[in-house]
Amino acid sequence: METSLVKEKVSNVLVSVLEHNNFEMHDELTAKDVDGWDSLSHMMIITKIEEHFGIKFKLRDLNKLKNMGSLINVIQSKI
Amino acid sequence: MNLVADIQKSIESNLDRSSFYIAGVDYSYHKLAEIISGIRESIQKSVSNDEINIGLVCNDDIYTYASIIALWMEGKAYVPLNPEFPISRNNTIIKQANIGTVLDSSAKKVFEETNTIQTKGLTRSKINLIPKETTQGDLAYIFFTSGTTGTPKGVPITFGNLSSFIDAFWDLGYTIAKDDRCLQMFELTFDLSVMSYLAPILKGACVYTIPKDEIKYSYIFELMEDHELTFALMVPSILHYVRPYFDEIDCPNMKFSLFCGEALPLDVTEEWSKCVPNATIANVYGPTECTIFCTDYTYKREEKNKAYNGVLTIGSDMKNTTTIIVDEDYNEVPFGEKGELCLSGTQLTPGYWKNEEKNKETFFIKEYKGRPTRFYRTGDLCTVDHEGDILYLGRVDFQAKIQGFRVELSEIEFHTKASLHKMNVVAVAFVNKIKNTEIGLVIESDAFDVKQLLEDLKTKLPQYMIPTQIKFIDSFPLNTNGKTDRKKLKEMFT
Repeated sequence: METSLVKEKVSNVLVSVLEHNNFEMHDELTAKDVDGWDSLSHMMIITKIEEHFGIKFKLRDLNKLKNMGSLINVIQSKI
Repeated sequence: MNLVADIQKSIESNLDRSSFYIAGVDYSYHKLAEIISGIRESIQKSVSNDEINIGLVCNDDIYTYASIIALWMEGKAYVPLNPEFPISRNNTIIKQANIGTVLDSSAKKVFEETNTIQTKGLTRSKINLIPKETTQGDLAYIFFTSGTTGTPKGVPITFGNLSSFIDAFWDLGYTIAKDDRCLQMFELTFDLSVMSYLAPILKGACVYTIPKDEIKYSYIFELMEDHELTFALMVPSILHYVRPYFDEIDCPNMKFSLFCGEALPLDVTEEWSKCVPNATIANVYGPTECTIFCTDYTYKREEKNKAYNGVLTIGSDMKNTTTIIVDEDYNEVPFGEKGELCLSGTQLTPGYWKNEEKNKETFFIKEYKGRPTRFYRTGDLCTVDHEGDILYLGRVDFQAKIQGFRVELSEIEFHTKASLHKMNVVAVAFVNKIKNTEIGLVIESDAFDVKQLLEDLKTKLPQYMIPTQIKFIDSFPLNTNGKTDRKKLKEMFT
């Protein structure tokens, strides 16, 4: 899947869980930069992303998700 | 027991061992001792003897932990201040606790108006761990928790309280020895952190912490596996997060896996027991007011465990605590009947910090076994069986637990109303799909953009107290008593 398409889908997931779109998708984006993206919503975001792409993260994958760039990379490595 | 002298002895006899593992770096007890000595020197230079309560900016680094020990050795108490909390909340605490000096390991000091000792880099090769004399009544720390009137309330804990806790904890037989590797997953503003660093230090074991920029629950399990942790005290919400990944977790080295801070569901515990096949699992319970925890139940792997509504029992009194269950008139209820759990004993705080009104509400004296005894009302609805095991049924008031943090829903309502001018609002705690508690807010109004409201709340409340879902309703439903039906409002959230 093309990176831009993956990004778009991830962006849609964020909007649906956080109920706002006050963020810009770029590789250095982290949870801290986005309102409402805390440990609670993080789990929901992860679960939704798994559903959307039909993938399953390993617990260890979660530690690698330091920013949007690494999230996109991990997703691409699984689809 | 002289707690601080015991800390001294333990550090001195384990100088070449690891004391802390923080963000990938091992610190020996020798290094810890040098930093403690450096910080003590600084405290002696710039803090007067009669200044007892000292603020502590809570960072995840060796200097912050060394500061705690240094303060105790100087006979002082620490008041944890989370640099991520709103400045107004921290300033309220600084004012309430008369804090004149703050120890801060941050690169740039967090508080401008106090005398700040910047601890980063403080070290002294001539080690001095001889504690100044303290009495059992002297304060070890004051933790501030959510208060109903919008102001956090302070819970002072004395060295006597803390020594009683440690004495009762060792009595449980959940041993820690110098070879052990122990998890410390808590913010230092949460009193479960005290047990998580103090017990290992007293035995010369190593404390493993969680860097603030890591995703807590996944990092914990990597630590557990990669560093073969042997002891872990956690809040149950961590289990809810990682439940989908249980089949990936295998920690045969874990010897003791303790849970505290929230209701522990029996089914999750059963599943978890397979991830830590050799561990003793225990559910411990207690409010900050009774020093960390004061009741204990050991999970049985092969037999039936006691539970109510799927929630594992919180067990029975630890060595230095007495529990009773009372009705509204403070009379003990018969076995098997419901009532409010009340605690007494040497772990009990002398009372809220400068808050006589709250003290009158929460503490009472009752004749118990022929002696007038001071009890604390927990606000927890419980029942006890003939074996003395206590079952937790729920709260008697509007308190909630979010990731183990105590939250007064009325404090959230107070600040929401302040932001919205006269609008009627109700905060509820509801259980979401992964069985963690979230905060919902219902506003009696037509829908509007809540961005400003959320921004206002973030200047007043810590992140875990910010509502995660907001709904609007034309008018609040009433129950048969004519009161706002909080139960119905709660049903609006899933």
